Amino acid sequence: MIIVKDLHKTFENNHVLRGVNYHVHQGEKIVVIGPSGSGKSTFLRCLNLLETPTSGEIWFDGINITDPKTDIDKVREHMGMVFQNFNLFNNLTIMQNITLAPVKLKVMGKEEAGENALKLLERVGLKEKADAYPSQLSGGQKQRVAIVRSLAMSPRVMLFDEPTSALDPEMVGEVLDVMKGLADTGMTMVVVTHEMGFAREVGTKVLFMDEGIIMEENTPQEFFSNPKSQRLQDFLSKVL
Amino acid sequence: MQAWFEKTAKMFDAAFISGDRWKLYLSGLGVTLEVAFFAAILGMIIGTILAFMKLSVRRNGKKTILTVIANIYIDVIRGTPSVLQLMIMWFIIFSNAKNGVLVAILSFGVNSGAYVAEIVRAGILAVDKGQMEAGRALGLSKTQTMISVIIPQAVKNVLPPIGNEFIVLLKETAIVGYVSLTDLTRAANQIASRTYEPFMPLIGAAVIYFVVIKILTILLGILERRLRKSDNR
Repeated sequence: MIIVKDLHKTFENNHVLRGVNYHVHQGEKIVVIGPSGSGKSTFLRCLNLLETPTSGEIWFDGINITDPKTDIDKVREHMGMVFQNFNLFNNLTIMQNITLAPVKLKVMGKEEAGENALKLLERVGLKEKADAYPSQLSGGQKQRVAIVRSLAMSPRVMLFDEPTSALDPEMVGEVLDVMKGLADTGMTMVVVTHEMGFAREVGTKVLFMDEGIIMEENTPQEFFSNPKSQRLQDFLSKVL
Repeated sequence: MQAWFEKTAKMFDAAFISGDRWKLYLSGLGVTLEVAFFAAILGMIIGTILAFMKLSVRRNGKKTILTVIANIYIDVIRGTPSVLQLMIMWFIIFSNAKNGVLVAILSFGVNSGAYVAEIVRAGILAVDKGQMEAGRALGLSKTQTMISVIIPQAVKNVLPPIGNEFIVLLKETAIVGYVSLTDLTRAANQIASRTYEPFMPLIGAAVIYFVVIKILTILLGILERRLRKSDNR
């Protein structure tokens, strides 16, 4: 579904990604872990071209999205993204946050989008917040709304960029629960996170990124119980 | 005591009552407000256009020709006194013009635009860049995100400094006497030179400016509070 070929990204003189190759299949839940500065967030942000790769190719559903001729806005309609800092639109109500893209991009009419939004909000237990503004919500609630906002576009894949890193500890669970529920529906997911429990429980594959490459990749079981590289062993001993 | 009182009353009469002189202040105030109001609108339009010119970047992150033009405009306008700009407009560029008010509006609008440009640009840049990223990630174009998300938030950021700019502009128009317009300041000055008593006309004009600006400040405050609704917790 997503094929990444020899992806490089350089910021100024900082070579962040040094040749990433990967193939995400339909329905997989890929969890990416690694130390900070390893390039995992950059890798994720390259997948929907929020960062423009310096070189390499990314294919999504048979389309080369790194080709300058590709209409990236069209591609992004099918790729949801959830950010560490939620990034809900501060000037809009929760309802407007969710319906903005489907209505503007003519995926749905206003009424249908509204009904759909309420249905999705109900699924994450936030139906009564439809008319609230983001500033009136807790961090966990904001992130659940952010997930719903992405889902409203019925994406084919969801990208999560450290979705629980900015949350108070007691709110991490509610967001992870929503993500687990989403995983159960068969959604293809790529998740950058520090939540090892989530990686173990939900991931179909776990990637370890360091120094701008995928250093190790394995099923969660093997990944955690039988890490091969020294770097991963060190890393796991620190975080587990 | 009584002598002082009588003298003051006479001064007041000379400055405002006799010869219906209060009408001169009023028509002067009319000119001041007319120039300031339309110049403010023109300044907003020019400033907003300049701000977007300055914010335009090429794909490789380099400056565009639009940015360069906007920078030159802002440098030139901010680097020269507004009195000179007004005189250049009146005596050189539009030396054949009959309508001084129009030239003054143009001159102050062009001047204010340079300052508004920086205010608007700062207001847009102050919106968290995650807002744009979230819009783009949903498939919205840059323009769609700008219109629906960034600009409404930037308006809120921009309001206090824009209000300040309006106030500065209103007072700045006191120099239109240079192009033989009779605004509030010039009206007061004319009356002072006619009565040889500058106290009443000048203080009177100052009070009128003060009251007008106070009203403007209150109105801006109300608008600001209304726009901050979405920040209520």
